[in-house]
Amino acid sequence: MITEKIKELASNLQDFYLLSMRGLVGIIKKPFYFKDTIEQMDYAGAGSLLIILLVSLFIGMALSLQLSAELSALGLKMYTGMIVGISVIREIGPVTAALVFAGRVGAGMASELGSMILGHQVDTLRVFGVDPIKKLVTPRILSSLVMLPALTIIGDAFSLLGGYYIAVFVSHQSGAFYWSSIREILIFDNVFAGSVKPFIFGYLIACISCYMGLSTKGGSIGLRRSTTRAVVASMIVIIVSDFLLTRILLYVLGFSV
Amino acid sequence: MIRFDSVWFSYNTKQVLKDISFSMHAHEKVAILGESGEGKTTILRLILGLIRPDSGHIIIDGEDIANKTEDELSQVRRKFSIVFQEGALFDSLNVKENVAFCLREYTRMSEDEIDKQVKELLRIVGLEEALELMPEELSGGMHRRVAIARSLAACSEPKMLLYDEPTSGLDPVNADNICKIMLELSRNARGSVIVTHKVFDAMKVADRFIFLKGGMIIFDGEREKLIHAPVREIQTFIQELNPKP
Repeated sequence: MITEKIKELASNLQDFYLLSMRGLVGIIKKPFYFKDTIEQMDYAGAGSLLIILLVSLFIGMALSLQLSAELSALGLKMYTGMIVGISVIREIGPVTAALVFAGRVGAGMASELGSMILGHQVDTLRVFGVDPIKKLVTPRILSSLVMLPALTIIGDAFSLLGGYYIAVFVSHQSGAFYWSSIREILIFDNVFAGSVKPFIFGYLIACISCYMGLSTKGGSIGLRRSTTRAVVASMIVIIVSDFLLTRILLYVLGFSV
Repeated sequence: MIRFDSVWFSYNTKQVLKDISFSMHAHEKVAILGESGEGKTTILRLILGLIRPDSGHIIIDGEDIANKTEDELSQVRRKFSIVFQEGALFDSLNVKENVAFCLREYTRMSEDEIDKQVKELLRIVGLEEALELMPEELSGGMHRRVAIARSLAACSEPKMLLYDEPTSGLDPVNADNICKIMLELSRNARGSVIVTHKVFDAMKVADRFIFLKGGMIIFDGEREKLIHAPVREIQTFIQELNPKP
């Protein structure tokens, strides 16, 4: 029984690895499905923008509020902008955007592909000689690779704006000083650390969601299961990989812990 | 054309097909009958190489397809035209785009030529007016007819036509229309395999009947033999031909 489970896990991991690699290689290998990619970008990017803006704005405000309260007690209120900036750009921005992306876009990818499996549309593609990985997975990977970093940058900006609003209008700090603190922390190391993560998160979310969707079995209950698994697995992987990436980036960029 | 030699197939722990053997020629019109879950659709998927058997051989035109790669299988699949259960139309494409899918993918036809070809195929299935409709706007019968047109566009000269439950869920009028289209397409000695649990429709389009029960073939023969087969399961199944008052 345990041996069977291990075999199944190994087989699933192998399938996931193959799908991820073939999906990625598909970006540079013909045929190219531009229309599908643009449609996916529209769904993933434009469709998620408002949610990301809203979530980022309030996270920035909450963070700024908490920091203002704590730092005021220590007489260090002027550091609010700097800490908000570093937290948002290096950590909170990429993770928040990725979690929202996984919840909305990842779930959508898994359920769409799952329905296509159950409705024999993927079989139809194979019968027509179309590679489902190239036609379905590659456009989703590419759209995630482009859209999640873009959404993260916009989300970061809105978090900083939220932080600014609280720092200036609630905590009565100087707006000019807030922005000069932000400018100070916008150095290569911080921007690089915050920019690498969305690419990796986007790739992982797309691969996990597509894999779960394409593994759907067993009708509507199976579809529910694969969609839930896609979101849960994506979220866990985002959090775990964020820790690992942070550790690696701090080491690479020469920060001492 | 198609030969199954001692084919076994299972989904996880469920044994679906047990030692299935049969052969059929390219010009035959065969119906595979049986209750739901007896492995009828599985046979179609095995013929197309969409799944692999646990053991046994599936020979298509003299070639064993069991161990072929996906690229090699696409050559085998070109010999068939398939209509999946409920049509399997692409949800995001309208009727015209669904039918034109393979023409755009694999031919260098101009948009005008594709338009002309799509209209001709839709005329064959009686849906010239549905060009711009989306799949969700189509009835069950229209779905199947668009799927037939699309399968013909994908493979203009198939050796055999495969249908997976083409009339299930349809009212008698629509089911009869689909049967007429299938018969029309089977002219010129082109064979077909229809998987169904509707004996009445199968009788209209097939000459040979294979009956599955418990993952095994319990009957393989012609219409008259099927009707008089001394097998309780078959007699129960074909009651729809002579419903009791």
